[in-house]
Formats: sequence, structure tokens, C-alpha cells
Amino acid sequence: MDHRVDRSAVTIADEFAEKIRQSNRKDRIIRTAPLIVLAVLIVFFSLTAGRGFASASNLQAILNQLAIPLIVAFGLTFVILIGSIDLSINGTVGMAGSVFACLVLNSEYPGLNMGLWGALLAILASVVAGFLVGIIYVKLRIPSFMVSFAFLYICRGIGMLSYQGHPPTIRDPLFLSLAKASFLGIPFITWVAIILFGVCYFIQEYTAFGRHIYAVGTNESIPRSVGVNVGRVKVMVFTLGGLLFGIAGVVGAIRLGQGQVGIGEGLMFPAQAAVVVGGTSLAGGKGGVLNTVVGVLIMTVLSNGLVLLSVNPYIRTGIEGVIILVAVALTIQRSRQAISK
Amino acid sequence: MKKLVALALAVMMMLSAVAVMAEVDYANLKEFKIDPAQIPQEKKDTTLYLGVSIRGLENPYIATIKVGMEMFGKYLDSIGQKHEMQVLDSQGDNDREVDNMRQFAAKAGGNAIAYSDPNENSIAYSLAEAMAESGAYLGTAWNKPDDVGPADLTPNWVMHTSPDNVLNGYTIAVELFKGMGGKGNILVLQGMLGNSAAINRYAGLQKALAEYPDIKVLEDDTANWQTSEALTLVETWLSKHADVGGIWCANDSMGTGALQALDAKGLKGKVGVVGVDANTDFVEAIRDGFATATMSSNGYLQGGYTLAVCYAVWTGLLDVAKFPPEYREFATPALLVNKDNAAEYLSAVPEFDFSTPFFMKAD
Repeated sequence: MDHRVDRSAVTIADEFAEKIRQSNRKDRIIRTAPLIVLAVLIVFFSLTAGRGFASASNLQAILNQLAIPLIVAFGLTFVILIGSIDLSINGTVGMAGSVFACLVLNSEYPGLNMGLWGALLAILASVVAGFLVGIIYVKLRIPSFMVSFAFLYICRGIGMLSYQGHPPTIRDPLFLSLAKASFLGIPFITWVAIILFGVCYFIQEYTAFGRHIYAVGTNESIPRSVGVNVGRVKVMVFTLGGLLFGIAGVVGAIRLGQGQVGIGEGLMFPAQAAVVVGGTSLAGGKGGVLNTVVGVLIMTVLSNGLVLLSVNPYIRTGIEGVIILVAVALTIQRSRQAISK
Repeated sequence: MKKLVALALAVMMMLSAVAVMAEVDYANLKEFKIDPAQIPQEKKDTTLYLGVSIRGLENPYIATIKVGMEMFGKYLDSIGQKHEMQVLDSQGDNDREVDNMRQFAAKAGGNAIAYSDPNENSIAYSLAEAMAESGAYLGTAWNKPDDVGPADLTPNWVMHTSPDNVLNGYTIAVELFKGMGGKGNILVLQGMLGNSAAINRYAGLQKALAEYPDIKVLEDDTANWQTSEALTLVETWLSKHADVGGIWCANDSMGTGALQALDAKGLKGKVGVVGVDANTDFVEAIRDGFATATMSSNGYLQGGYTLAVCYAVWTGLLDVAKFPPEYREFATPALLVNKDNAAEYLSAVPEFDFSTPFFMKAD
């Protein structure tokens, strides 16, 4: 009798321990999966795309191509960490790039030559857009995807209005030289992304604001019960997003040598995929900018490698989609929480 | 007696009116001239709404269509026609374009004429129908399905025109190949796959490639008409290939991206680049020796003259039902811009005489 009770007690304890072990193992897999996916892609393309992929020249190209997706995805990471979503990206980035090119020395409005002030004003426009998205979302209680979707159109409209169909070509020698400048072999625009990574990582890890972001994303009622102004945290997150999207727009215009709303086109969904593939949970509260770096690397290496392989354009996009789906399936932290609040 | 005289006079007036109308030689509409004296004063005093329905003013070519409408507006001022102008912006949304069109025609009570560049082939008929509901007139350009056309909705769908995209793609390819001495390697940037302009320009490239067997295509992909996508693609390709002689782009916006990628590699001016649309910055690059050639589809002409033909119909000067088929669907003239005429193209403001609306028909 005793023996039997004993044995069942052991079994329960064992089962419990086993469950914890399993859960830890799963967590470990989920944490390392994005890195494994990235490593597999790099090995695969190095073997199949010949010397093209691993060449110094292509490394330079990848570094160039990383900059804008990284900056955009950092901004989006914080938004997703609080469990929200920002669909305004294409518009805000395009607006900032267009306005910036109009305000510095350019082909369309030669009278305007505001130099660095032009860059700051363009970024400010995007900060204001982000702030408005945040405040409308919080105060009017409209879902963030709805508000930001509206701002996608508003900002794209402002961008188009700024140059009236004639995209301004940048003539300012400083900004023209930045497109080609590099330091320690890394392009200037990529340095911008690296510095912003440092700033975002600091905010995330070492500030009260960073901790509040995780708390709000995990369960709003807990930070609220200890006196955190949840609404304020959310507005700040969207404003920070606006700041980063604005910088991405300016960097995009510098890279292109021209301002046009096209700078923002096609950025939003790859950025979302990068954040999720990197392991940040759409439900909020889990992940961070370091994950996003891996996610953006995966997305950039993937599209760069497929182009080098000269995959037929009719099926390239499809293949990209399938690989993203596989990557997400491997890395996503499944939870019962509703996504996109 | 008085009644008889009145009747006789009325009959004579009607006959003379018919005689005037019969003067139009429908077999040779190219010669047709709008005579302001024949337009009833009642029509001139009615406010006519002019519209151009476009994707948005995001590229310079589309902006020239709006300018074309404004030029035609000036012509209407000169003959004393009351009018209002409106740009219908679809933002690349099919439903929105059709809704805009319907509201525009309804607001004008049918006294409306419009130019439309249908967002996709499939909505061309719906756009014409939206105008027809109020009795307004529409001319479409660029996109429509092959099996549907203006003849399916007479008289409101007046006509459909398009620059010859196969010819555009072919002409710039030949310019590029000639510049390369007839041999070497090229990169190809296609437009949005499945888009008829992209398909036809690409067909033109294939035709030119068949005539130049020493030209080899190294890479061939789509940059979806976008500058930034083109930059990324060419940047990646240039890290793989060192021996590129030319880049064929299906539009100038992508050509701008290609030039930027070449510039980063120090290759700008050493590799030929061609496009279509005659965007200002691209024509400047041709003038400065960095790009090779582009085609001007002449948006001024498309926007302005499409409205001119519709105007002649709205006033009653022309009867759509009598148009020969070749005046319902036809090609509009495009202009090759290369280093010989780039500077002139940039400085010259086009001037048009809208009183001969079918000037817009090629050949």
C-alpha cells in the first residue's frame, strides 16, 4: 500500500519535472531557432550561389540593404512588444523621405536649402505622425491597426503633395556623399542602423520605459495596478516608432539620391515578418530588438540569395513566402493570447 | 400661311443643321476640326466637368496628364466654354477608381468628360459604365482587356488609346544595343509582372534581342516599377557580374535606381541604361551622358486630346456611333529621347492645338 502511494508520488514529481524540462527545452529551441535558420540560409547560399554570395562586394551590398529594414523593424519591435501593430510604416517612411528631399538642396525646389535642419524637420513630421497614431489609439480607443492604417494614407498623401509628381533629386553635396561614404568598411547608412540598435537596446534593457513596455505587453492590468501610466507608455512607443520610421525615410532618400513616397513601399510586411521570424511574439511581452536583428538578417539574406541564384521572378516571391512561413512556424512562441490588440 | 412659313423655315434650319453635321468626314477623322461657331451657346453656358482619373500624382509621367487637362482647359477658355477641372485619385485601388468616376459623373449631371488610366485591365468597362449611368463620356488609356472595348458601350465609352508598348520596349533596346556596339551583357529590370505595359515592353525587348544575337541577358527580374527595388536588385547583381554593358529598364523610375547602384560602384556613365516615360531626372541623366535613352509617352497629349475628342462628342459635333473602328481604339505617338534631343526636350514646353482632336492618333 505504502509502496504504491510512494510510487505514484514519485511519478507525479517526475512528470512535473519532465514537463518543466520539456518546456525549457522548447524555450531553448525557440530562442536558438532563428539563429539556426539564419545559419542554414547562409550555408545554403554560400554553397549554391557560388563565390557571388560570400564575396566582399556582395557583403557590402547586404550591409547596404540591411540598413533601412533594420531601422524600420526596431521601431516596429517596440510596437509589437506592447501587443499592438503599426501599419503606417510605408506612409511615414515615404513621407519623411519625400519631405527631406524637398527641404535640402534639390532639383525641384532650389530655393529651399535647409541642410541638416531639413533632415530634422522631416523626421519631426514622422514623430508627430507616430505621436498622433498613439494618442488617437489610446484616447479614442480605436484599435492600433485601424488608426495606423489611416495614417498610412494620410502620410502617403502628404508625401505626394510635397513634390507634386516631380520627385526631387538631392543636390546637397553632403547628403550625396553620405550615400557612398563608409567607415571601417561599413557603409554610413548601416552605421546609422548600428547606432540606433545601440540606442534601442539600451532603452529596452536599462530604462524604466523599457521595462514598462514588456509589462504592458504581457498584461496591462499589472503595470496599471502598480501605478504605471499605461496609456503614456503606449503613446511613447508609437512616437518612438515614428522617430525611427522618419530616420529610415531620410536614410532611404540618401540611399536613393531622390525623395519619393516609393521609398516606403514594400517595407511594412517584410518588417513584420522580420520581427516575428526573429522570435518576438505578436501577442506582446516577449522578444526584443536583438531578436529583430536576427530576423532582419534572415529576410535580407533570403532575398539577396534568391536574387543571386537567379530564381525565376515568377516563383521567387512565392519561394520567399514559403521560407518565411517555415521560419515563423519554427520560431513563433505560440500562446493563447489574442494577437494584435 | 404664317404657320407654313414658320414650318418651312424650321425645316430649312433643320436641314441646314443636318448639312453642317454631315460635313464631318468620318472616314478621315484626323482632318476633323472643332469649329466653336457650331457649338450651341446653350452648351457653352453649361458647366462641363473635366476629369482625369489616375493612380495618384506620385510619378512625373502621371503629373503630365493633369497638365494636359489644364492645357485643354485653357483652350476651352479661349472658345468661351464654361468648365471645372478635377483630378480623380484612385491611390491604386480599383473600387475607389470606379466609385470616384460614378460620383464625378453624377455630380455633373452627365455633363462630364474624362480621361482614365484604369488601375487594372479588368475595371475598364466598369469605369465606362459608371460614366454612362449619368450620360457622361470617357476615353481610356493603357489598360483594358483584349476582348472588351469602346464598341461595347457606344456612345459613352468614346475610345481607348495606348502608346505602342511593344514598340517602346523595342526602340529603347535597340538604342541600348547600338550604344554597346551590338555586343555584350545586359541586365533586365521588368515592370510589375502581369501588367500589360510590362508584358508588352518586355516583348519588345525580346524582339530586339532576336535581332542582336551577340547581346546576352545575364539577369532578368522584376523591380515592380519601383526605384528602391531596382537599386537593391542591381546592387546585388553588380556584386555577381563584373562585365555588364547595359541595363534595360521597363520604366525610368527603375532606371533611376539602376543609375544609383552604378554610381555606388563608380560605373555611372560606363554602363548604358534605358527606360520608358521620360521622367525629368532620367532625361537629365541622358543629357549628362549617364543614361542612354527613354521614350516619352507624352502624357500632355494623352490627357489633353482624349478630353478634346470627348468634348467634340459632348457638344454634338461628332457622333461616336459613326466612328470607324480604327478611331475607337488606336495607338498614340511616342517620342524617342536620346542624347541628341534630351536638352531640347527638357527646355521645350509642348504646345498643342486642341481644335484637331485626332492629332493624337499615331501614323
